[in-house]
Amino acid sequence: MPQTSLTALRTRLEAIDAELIALLARRMELARAVGAHKRTHGLATLDAGREAKVVSHAARLARDAGLPEEEVRQVFWQVVAMSRRAQQDDAQ
Amino acid sequence: MIIITEAGISEPTLDALRDHLEGHGVRTHVSRGTDRVVIGLIGDTSVLDAGTVRAWPGVASVVPVRTPYRLASRQFRAASTLIPLGDAAGTRLGGRDIVVAAGPCSVEGPEMLLETARGVKARGATMLRGGAFKPRTSPWAWQGLGAQGLALLAEARTVTGLPIVTEVMDPRQVDLVAEHADVLQIGARNMQNYALLAEVGRIRRPVLLKRGLSGTITELLLAAEHIMARGNDQVILCERGIRTYETATRNTFDVAAIPVLKRETHLPVMVDPSHAAGRADIVAPLCFAAIAAGADGLIVEVHPRPAEAKSDGDQSLTLDQFGAMMAMLAPFAAAAGRSLAGQPAEPLGALVA
Repeated sequence: MPQTSLTALRTRLEAIDAELIALLARRMELARAVGAHKRTHGLATLDAGREAKVVSHAARLARDAGLPEEEVRQVFWQVVAMSRRAQQDDAQ
Repeated sequence: MIIITEAGISEPTLDALRDHLEGHGVRTHVSRGTDRVVIGLIGDTSVLDAGTVRAWPGVASVVPVRTPYRLASRQFRAASTLIPLGDAAGTRLGGRDIVVAAGPCSVEGPEMLLETARGVKARGATMLRGGAFKPRTSPWAWQGLGAQGLALLAEARTVTGLPIVTEVMDPRQVDLVAEHADVLQIGARNMQNYALLAEVGRIRRPVLLKRGLSGTITELLLAAEHIMARGNDQVILCERGIRTYETATRNTFDVAAIPVLKRETHLPVMVDPSHAAGRADIVAPLCFAAIAAGADGLIVEVHPRPAEAKSDGDQSLTLDQFGAMMAMLAPFAAAAGRSLAGQPAEPLGALVA
C-alpha cells in the first residue's frame, strides 16, 4: 500500500478516536450525574445488577453489528468500572 | 463453578443467564463448543445459589472447580490455546508444530547477534531469543545492553524475519519492551513478582512465563492466572529446571511437569533445557525428552563462540551443535505425532554470511 493512503487511513482512524474520546467524556458526565442521584437518594454506588445489564446490552448491540462480542464485553467492563470509580471519587 | 449449557442454547437464553450471574457480581468467561457452551465463573461464587443456577433455562449441569486456578484450567477451556508469534505467517505455538526459539543468553553487540540470528534461522529455528535486560545473581556481573539491546533485537528481526522473545524485568519497562518484542519473557526469578505480572497482563502481547526455581506447578499456573485475570490470555508456560539436591546439573529438569501441565491447562508449554542443565553437552537429550513428553516448544541458548560469551557460556550450544541437534529433532517430533515449525531449513550457504 502506498505511504500516502496509509497516512490518510490513519488520519481517519485518529478522527474516530477523537469522537470516541468525546463520547466517553459525555458518558462519564452522565455517569457522575447518576452518582449524584444515588447519593441524594441514599443508594449504594455499586449496582452489580445494573452493571451486568449495561454490559449485556452492549454485547447484544455488538453481536448485531457483527463485532466480536466477548471483546466488546471486555471493553465495556472497563467503561463500567471507570464510571463506578468516578462515582466513588465524587462520593469522597 | 462451571456451567455447561444444553445443546443449541439460544443467544437470548444465554444472555439472560449471563445477566443473572453477572448481576451477582461474578464475571462470566464463555467458551463455545460445537453445540454446547461452557461458562466459567470468576469471582466470589458463594453469592450464587447452585440450585437456582441448575434450574435456570438452558443449563445442563453445574460443576464445581477443583483447582485454585480458573482461566488457565482445562476445565474452563478444553481446546488448547494457539498463540500466534509475531507477524510471521503461520507460526503458531500450541498446535501440531513444535516451535524452536534459539539465540544468545545476552545481546552482546550487533555483529554477534546478527551472526547468531542468521545462523539459527538457517538451521531451522522459528524464533530468536536474546536478553537485553539481564537478571544477574551478582550486581557486579555484566547487566546487559538494556534499551540498546532491544533495538538490536528488532533489527535482527527485520533482517531474518524471526519473531523475537526477550525478558522484561521491571514493570516500568513493559511498554518499552512490548514496542520491540513479539513475546515478552518473565524470568524464573520474577515468576511471583505480582506487580510485573499485572503489568504484562495489561498488554496484548504473548508472555513467556518461566517456572520459578522453587515454584510448584500449581504456583506456576496461579502466576499465569494473575496475567490472565488482567485480560491477557496469551500466556506460554516454560519449564526450566527446579532446585534440588542434585549438583551434576545446574537445576533438575522436571520432565514430569510437561504432561502434568498439558493435562491441567490449555496453555502451551515450552522447555528451556539450557538453564535446566547449565551445561551444553546434555541440552540435546533434554530436548528429545521434552518433545517425547509433549512440549509445544523449546528455547535454547546458542552462541557462535560460547567461550567468549559474556554470560552463560557453559550452557550455550555452538551453531554447529545447534544444527546437529535440529537435524536429530525431527524423528522425535514425528514419533510424538508432531512436526517442527517453519519452512525446511534453507541451504546453509544462502543465509550464513
